Amino acid sequence: MLTFIEMEFLKLKRSKIFLLSLLMAALPSVLMFIATFAFDETQSFTMLFSTVNMYMSALFAILLFSIIIAYLFGREYNEHTLKTMLTVPISRGKFLASKYIMFLIWILILTVVTSVTTLAFGFIAGLTGFTVQLFINSLAELLFSNILLFLTFSPFVFLSLFITNMVPAMVGGASLTLVNLLVEGQTWAPYVPWTCPYLISSGEIADYSVGLMTPYIMIMATFLVGIVISYVYFTKKDVPL
Amino acid sequence: MREYVIETSNLSKSYSKKLVVDSIDMHVEKGKIYGLLGKNGAGKTTTMCMLLDLVHPSGGEILLFGKDPQKHSKEVYSNIGSIIETPGFYENLTAYENLKIISKLRGNYNPLTIKSVLEMVNLDHEKTKEFKEFSLGMKQRLGIAAAIMHNPELLILDEPINGLDPIGIKEIRDLLKKLSCEYGVTILISSHILSEIENIADVIGFMDEGVLIEELTRNELHSKLNKYVEFEVSDIDLAIELLNKTGLKENNDYCFRKSIANYIEDVESVEQEGGQNEGHIGGTIHLLSNLDLRDQFNTLFVSSGINVRKVNLCEENLEDFFTRIISNT
Repeated sequence: MLTFIEMEFLKLKRSKIFLLSLLMAALPSVLMFIATFAFDETQSFTMLFSTVNMYMSALFAILLFSIIIAYLFGREYNEHTLKTMLTVPISRGKFLASKYIMFLIWILILTVVTSVTTLAFGFIAGLTGFTVQLFINSLAELLFSNILLFLTFSPFVFLSLFITNMVPAMVGGASLTLVNLLVEGQTWAPYVPWTCPYLISSGEIADYSVGLMTPYIMIMATFLVGIVISYVYFTKKDVPL
Repeated sequence: MREYVIETSNLSKSYSKKLVVDSIDMHVEKGKIYGLLGKNGAGKTTTMCMLLDLVHPSGGEILLFGKDPQKHSKEVYSNIGSIIETPGFYENLTAYENLKIISKLRGNYNPLTIKSVLEMVNLDHEKTKEFKEFSLGMKQRLGIAAAIMHNPELLILDEPINGLDPIGIKEIRDLLKKLSCEYGVTILISSHILSEIENIADVIGFMDEGVLIEELTRNELHSKLNKYVEFEVSDIDLAIELLNKTGLKENNDYCFRKSIANYIEDVESVEQEGGQNEGHIGGTIHLLSNLDLRDQFNTLFVSSGINVRKVNLCEENLEDFFTRIISNT
């Protein structure tokens, strides 16, 4: 499996989308930096970290992750390399698993990029109240949220395998971003799997009249359904040439 | 007893009720080059994809190296190299990097092997060029490099010479012959270019509309190719009259083609010599039966005042044979 993941990294060599994703991961902190001067939005590191984390995990990450997952899983179809890879031979299950793990690693890298750029822009903006503990807590919160969000993205794997170009996944990501905006503060927000990660990691779930298990169940159910349908579809489907 | 590397029995594939491969029984003997011949859409690629487990069969059985590939997947497929249509590689990577990925996943990565195989297909000088900048011929050669890099015992090559220039075609043909003769590699190769298959294959399978019509060895094929004697004569009408008198029947025993060009040549040559043309039209006669009597027919023509410009014993080419067996099915 390590070789599979190593090869996924090699496939990203000279890939523009990886660099683009790093820039996109830094975008919330750039926007908040601008907002600090333009709208007097944030005055302290505490506020900056919490705002960036909210924008990232509740809104921006969904669109960004949907693009990444469509690229990762649709690439072999679009570049016609699937017939080359599967005749190596490699197990279809391992192939899917390695890509999903690569997706997680990619998310972890982006999480670090978001937090570090937020920290950097906070210092450039001259904000007050920085402590190492605050940074670690903020990073941990974003990391936890993004890992939960990663689990909810397994249906996007199926979507990327089923319709192998990036557009449907991007439309799906954009739609879910809007859904997250719509359900903000609504009683049924904890039942939307893609809203749950932010609610759990930020602690806002306590404001809702549901048990803590409910959002976790929603996330895990989404994960399992997505994994199962993706696996069944990928192993049963003929390889397009 | 013959040892088969590929055996299929009743292998079929249908897409939404349309049968694209129909109950194929294919036998590819160890160490032989098997040419799969058919028009575009005959079912060659689908058959190869089923052999490679890229497409799931709707019915029938496959044995590779005498084993069920579903039960011995790793063992069987790691011994196979393949190209299916235009080879697919990662566009942002170089030839070396692409081969590195494949060999790493196979678990036999060796930089020296990659370098030598790239030399073999003349891609060793393209060190920094990304795959997206490759010409079709270069892509095809990289596909061949990937297919042979791990010294497979079986090569399944679907239209491997597509996009290659004549020199490239010859190089690949020589390479495949060498792999088969010197290393005992079994090769299943498909093409719609009949001459290529004729040049290379020990056994030829003829496919049409999903059906494997015939499997013939080179010797069997030559014994089945129609033979005929070609006469090029100065007076076609008289020649036909003479043949009819001997009891031969048009279409069964002979066929003919009149040649206006020959007629014009005749008129010009007779006029240049100051003579008078008698209006004879020349042409070509194909004698389909009684080939052993060709010398007697020649004597008959000549003694009747017909100029015989050419007498050739000819054999039907693969293209004609292919057309004939397809039209018979």
